[in-house]
Amino acid sequence: MNVHPRARDYPQSSLGEMIPDESELTAGVVIEPGKQYGFFTDTTVCIGCKACEVACKEWNNLPADNVGLTGHSYDNTGALSANTWRHVNFIEESSSKPLGGKSVRDNSQNAFQSGWLMMSDVCKHCHHAPCMEACPTGALFKTEFDTVVVQQDICNGCGYCVPACPFGVVEVSKADGKAHKCTLCYDRLKGGLEPACSKSCPTDSIQFGELSDLQARAKKRVAELHDRGVHTAYTYGAPDSPGATGDMQYLNAFFLLTDRPEAYNLPAAPTRPSNRIAPALTAGLATLAGLAVAAIALLAMPGEERRRGR
Amino acid sequence: MDDRVDTAPRDGYKGAPNRPLPQSDSFNDAHDPVRPVATSRNTDMPSKPGWSGPTYYGRSQLKAAPFDPWIVGGYIFLAGLSGASAVLSNLAELVRGEQACDVGRRGRYLSMLAPTIGSVLLIVDLHTPQRFYNMFRIAKRTSPMSIGTWILSSFIPFAGLGFLSQLGADLFKLGWLKKLARFGFAPAAVSGAGLSTYTASLLSATSTPYWAAQPKELAMRFAASSVASGAAALALGAKSDANRRTLETIGAAALAVELAATVMSHKTVKAKGVGESLKSDWGKTEEVMALGVGVLLPLGVYAATRLRGRKPTAANDLAALATLVGSAMLRVSTLGIGDDSASRPEVSLRFSQPENLPPVKPVRRVSRRRRG
Amino acid sequence: MEGTITIVQEGRFQLSDERGVSHQFVLGRTALAETEQLRPLQSRQARVRVKYTDALGLISLVAHRIELLDPEPLEPVGA
Repeated sequence: MNVHPRARDYPQSSLGEMIPDESELTAGVVIEPGKQYGFFTDTTVCIGCKACEVACKEWNNLPADNVGLTGHSYDNTGALSANTWRHVNFIEESSSKPLGGKSVRDNSQNAFQSGWLMMSDVCKHCHHAPCMEACPTGALFKTEFDTVVVQQDICNGCGYCVPACPFGVVEVSKADGKAHKCTLCYDRLKGGLEPACSKSCPTDSIQFGELSDLQARAKKRVAELHDRGVHTAYTYGAPDSPGATGDMQYLNAFFLLTDRPEAYNLPAAPTRPSNRIAPALTAGLATLAGLAVAAIALLAMPGEERRRGR
Repeated sequence: MDDRVDTAPRDGYKGAPNRPLPQSDSFNDAHDPVRPVATSRNTDMPSKPGWSGPTYYGRSQLKAAPFDPWIVGGYIFLAGLSGASAVLSNLAELVRGEQACDVGRRGRYLSMLAPTIGSVLLIVDLHTPQRFYNMFRIAKRTSPMSIGTWILSSFIPFAGLGFLSQLGADLFKLGWLKKLARFGFAPAAVSGAGLSTYTASLLSATSTPYWAAQPKELAMRFAASSVASGAAALALGAKSDANRRTLETIGAAALAVELAATVMSHKTVKAKGVGESLKSDWGKTEEVMALGVGVLLPLGVYAATRLRGRKPTAANDLAALATLVGSAMLRVSTLGIGDDSASRPEVSLRFSQPENLPPVKPVRRVSRRRRG
Repeated sequence: MEGTITIVQEGRFQLSDERGVSHQFVLGRTALAETEQLRPLQSRQARVRVKYTDALGLISLVAHRIELLDPEPLEPVGA
């Protein structure tokens, strides 16, 4: 495990102040405004500990909202919501349909835990974010770190971002009437800290960094997995992958998955909704124009009553 | 929503990929889509065109719009009614002049419905209504809600001018007020045209399957329905029979277009795999109220009365009212069906498949240098 | 409830009451306090009195009115 040389400057176990550019020590990247940042979530090393969910709730002071047991494996959180910005999916592979030819009960070592599919779901911080494009108040905007954030003092809870999101991430809170979603720890990024979830992830399943670095790392990891016999591994949300279809271009928070997207509750081929505005408007206005022409023709036609001067 | 999720015990993973997924660099190939598994382990989902692949414990993949279908559907109806009344009444006065002055008058009164009741409905549906003015912070062309805010805002001054002048003219009988009413109101026809159809783009520019599957067809339905409702409302109080007949004919033409658009809409929606939502309760409501009461009933009545006599009877009034009710119910049920399609994973996952992707525009590789 | 505002994030804040028990609050939609008004309260660790109700479906409380208890000459925050 490589320890950054600067880490030796902070040997004490409790610090009285913030470490400048702490993300350099914890994530290996210095955070500068103007660069693109995001997450690469490698689901093959996720252990389902939910440290990301806890860290997110703790840092962002979010209330607990999914109270109670769902009965859906270890997933008692359920889904992303206005108060849940990290959600770990758990899918138990039944032993009759093994992945890569090996089942859960085999004794030989698999490339990774093949009996489980676990993924930490989050806001994808899309490049052409549909929520941001849909927002009529300008509350949703692209930050200097290329992330998408809802400004809480502008949002008036119109809720148009909610159906716009192809991944079902953002939601309007019933308690305060505004839309909420993951901010990629915008306040931490401004302070030089990496986001809470990636910092707390014990296996580095959630990797934070500059987008180009992450995409290169992902490509290498996919190739490595293919070499080890996991042919179902692929990236979701990288350019030209599932999840980045339909003019979405790419997602700043992208994933390495080993099964079809629908199993993880992700859409296989999302589209950019704002591309549908032009066809809808032109079709509607054309219909209206056609009917207007018909109306003019009918109005101009001399009917019998008009000829009689009634 | 749990009545739609089957109660049989299920493992989290239903169905299996029958082949490994495509490599990431060869994915964008429209001829090799990821198909839902044909051998279905889901005995609770019988129909083939539906989704037979995995869902995540039957949880919805998308989030339904937090709009109340009645409130927002009501606004869309009023916007269409006001906008179309503005257009039609202006056209009537343009072509028929003084003979259509009562139509123009009714048009100016009807066009106030959207700015008054409609705006209240919109503000009430906001979850933080006291910040409604933030809608005016920006004008964003990728947001139909922003576009609509400005369309409505540009409609209101002219509609207001027309309404107040008309009111003044009716109360004080001043000639110049009548002229002001007519010419001051005329520009409202332009924004009125936008008002009567932009709401379809509002719904289509989302990821809700039922709306996203049919941007063009929904726009045609809404535009035709707006014109039909505008014509019906103008016809209801028309003083001269000639005007009434013409307005009814215009309404009938609009209803015929709406019928055609409905057929196209259902076809498109089924082809994209969202047909299941048409079978929901809201889907049935749409069929009965929007199509049956709103389109077929008035068309039948108009046809019958034309064949028989000339004088408009109570049946014509009924037809006009039915058109209005149907137009309103079309908007409300469209919202309801959309919410249904978004909350059911078997519909939304079936919709967001590669085969439903819009065709990729070919990149023009003409070299500029060669042109010298 | 009276206490000190210890953590603020967007429209949410944590109040530590007199017994030292911390409670999570969400700024309600009828509270006219804006989110940016909470932050200075947190940096001063200001003592406030909060009028609240229970949040439905959440383990949280909805704040409707916040009154400053500090003797600082600042206008009171909230509806």
